[in-house]
Amino acid sequence: MIWEVFRQEDAGDYHEHCGNVHAPDRDMALMFAEIQHARRKPTNSLWVAPKPEIGEVDTEDAKFGGTTDKSYRWASTYDFEAAASEVAESTDEQVEAERRRKVQQEKKEAKGGD
Amino acid sequence: MDIEEVKRRAGPREFSPKDDLPEEYRKAATRMIQFHANSEIMGAYLERPFIREAPSLDRKLAFSAKVQDEIGHGQLLYRAAESLGLKTRDEMLDELANGDGKFLNCFHYPMNDWEETPLIAFFVDGAAMRRQATLKRTSWEPYAHAMDKVCFEEGFHVKHGEAILHELMTGTKREQELTQEAFEEWWPRIIQFFGPTNDKSTHHDFASEVGLKQMGNDELRTAFLNAYIPKAKKYGLEIPDEPRIRENDDGTYEVVEDDLDWDEFFTIAKNDYEGSHTQINGRKAAQDAVEWVREVLDEREEREFGTSQQQAAD
Amino acid sequence: MAATESLPAPGELSDDQREAVEHLLYRLADDEFVIAERYTEWQVKAPTLESDLALSNIAQDELGHSRLWYDLLEDFEYTESQLVWERDPGEWRHSTLAEQPFEDGDWADPIVRSYLYDQAEHIRLEALQDSTYPRIRDRVPKIVQEEDYHREHAQNWMERLAEDEDGIRKLQEALDRLFPHALTLFAPTDEAVEERIDDLGLRTKSLRVMREEWLDVVVPYLQDLGLSVGDAELPEQYDVHHSEFDLPEHVGRDQTHSDAWFDLQEEFTHTYRRLDRKQANRIMKDPDDS
Repeated sequence: MIWEVFRQEDAGDYHEHCGNVHAPDRDMALMFAEIQHARRKPTNSLWVAPKPEIGEVDTEDAKFGGTTDKSYRWASTYDFEAAASEVAESTDEQVEAERRRKVQQEKKEAKGGD
Repeated sequence: MDIEEVKRRAGPREFSPKDDLPEEYRKAATRMIQFHANSEIMGAYLERPFIREAPSLDRKLAFSAKVQDEIGHGQLLYRAAESLGLKTRDEMLDELANGDGKFLNCFHYPMNDWEETPLIAFFVDGAAMRRQATLKRTSWEPYAHAMDKVCFEEGFHVKHGEAILHELMTGTKREQELTQEAFEEWWPRIIQFFGPTNDKSTHHDFASEVGLKQMGNDELRTAFLNAYIPKAKKYGLEIPDEPRIRENDDGTYEVVEDDLDWDEFFTIAKNDYEGSHTQINGRKAAQDAVEWVREVLDEREEREFGTSQQQAAD
Repeated sequence: MAATESLPAPGELSDDQREAVEHLLYRLADDEFVIAERYTEWQVKAPTLESDLALSNIAQDELGHSRLWYDLLEDFEYTESQLVWERDPGEWRHSTLAEQPFEDGDWADPIVRSYLYDQAEHIRLEALQDSTYPRIRDRVPKIVQEEDYHREHAQNWMERLAEDEDGIRKLQEALDRLFPHALTLFAPTDEAVEERIDDLGLRTKSLRVMREEWLDVVVPYLQDLGLSVGDAELPEQYDVHHSEFDLPEHVGRDQTHSDAWFDLQEEFTHTYRRLDRKQANRIMKDPDDS
């Protein structure tokens, strides 16, 4: 069976997908993943999950974020000066995320062509 | 997706297992990546006796690590090929054992002595590294991901090869002579690593049009000669008279194709050379001998997951 | 915790002390080098790509350990060439377990060999943790951590092979062949020197005591897997294992070795001799500087 491997570089980081191993069970998968995926890169922890167990939904199946106006859930819609720095930071992060989402949309539309 | 759309969209990492790609693309990509994976395994198989022969502890460690990396690269590449949905890893490994799997020309030749090792480890790996760097922009995303890892690891291989060459060429007169002899024997094979010139390469055009192949054989060869001829000279190696190589004003190289033995190359490409049989069958015997272990693992997997998968379906 | 007494620096040891330290270091270094050399035979020949990578890693770990131990012998003015490449094969002190050749396809062998060896290694390293010789004491922690993986690896494989009819038969065959050689891990190089090693506190457990500990761990483990350990099985009325085992013809520790060893030594020194090398070249920093 194929096991997907996720590597956490430092304590506190997210685990990121870094590849896979073939193994008959979880303990062997962990044992092999240790060698294959943590030999040279800094590693704090590794996860393995059986490939068939990994579900996926992608942008073609699900319109991530919705297609109708959802601006009510964005801080940038509201016109007040941020009450404190953390409110401002949160607003800025959301503005950046929305900007990147728009860029992604535009790229897709350009490729779609028809 | 039809093939025209594939060609239109072809760009770095453009296609992934989610895409509904035409069979022509899948076949071309599988062939290319499978060849690459097979070459890693057969390269490792050629080099492994030299772990034992290494004349120092550090060199032995490095050689063991290099061979290990190559098996690791094979693992990554078979996965990238498998992800195209045409062949499983097991099927590709079976093809390799049966003589149906193709691999790099250089690994069909015997390697008997220590002084030959830098020809593979420095020159051939150097050539491979250049090609692999360009493949980071290949259109099949899993292949490009594999190249990220391979390139990350490969630098040490080339330096290891260079260190061995350096040691030999700054060694005794006899070591230098032996190395020069080995260089003369391997040099034409190394030039042929890049395959036939663009005109004669059967698969080239399609692979380029769909973004799988990023650089033509001739350009890669020129890039290699640019970097490695000076290195060879720096270490005191004499470039053999044949094949005749002319440097043009624009920095490109012309190789007199007729000076190379293309009959031998095409025999090798069919796995029909004497060395081909030795290498393929040698590896096959070793792998057959451990088939019993794979069976044990498969049975365990079936016991542990075979039943549970049925339950999940219910 | 009481402070461990320390022996003087390498250059200041008495002849007797130095002889004891050297014997101990040769056991350690030669074991690791030779077993590593054998493990590398499986590179590109392992049953799966993943298992190939794992065994290669173990081989490199062991070779790295041998490098650390040979480095301590270099404190006594020996060079790597003298210790490894030019040393008479009849002078090596590794256990004959390490030198045994493999049969094609016999994956059970490196697994059983590793299990027996790594359990002994664990016990041996524990006994060196508080060595009165600081140079040895200081190297143990790094090595111990890598050895944990080796033991886990061997056990995982043993358990899976033992679940299968073919697998358990092959494990038993390997065990029958390797067990007597594994006992040589605990054989003395020289009775007087071994006593001195213990008296000086270079090792905090004697060979006898370590062997008992080892048997107490491996025999029940192997029996639980369904394997039989013949002579080593603990007869009910005793609480100590047989004190006299039949050791193989060649014991290794006393510098007697099988033909297979002499062939192996010839192979790994082949290039060094053919190219008339006088020194072994370094890539890495001295362990003291890294």
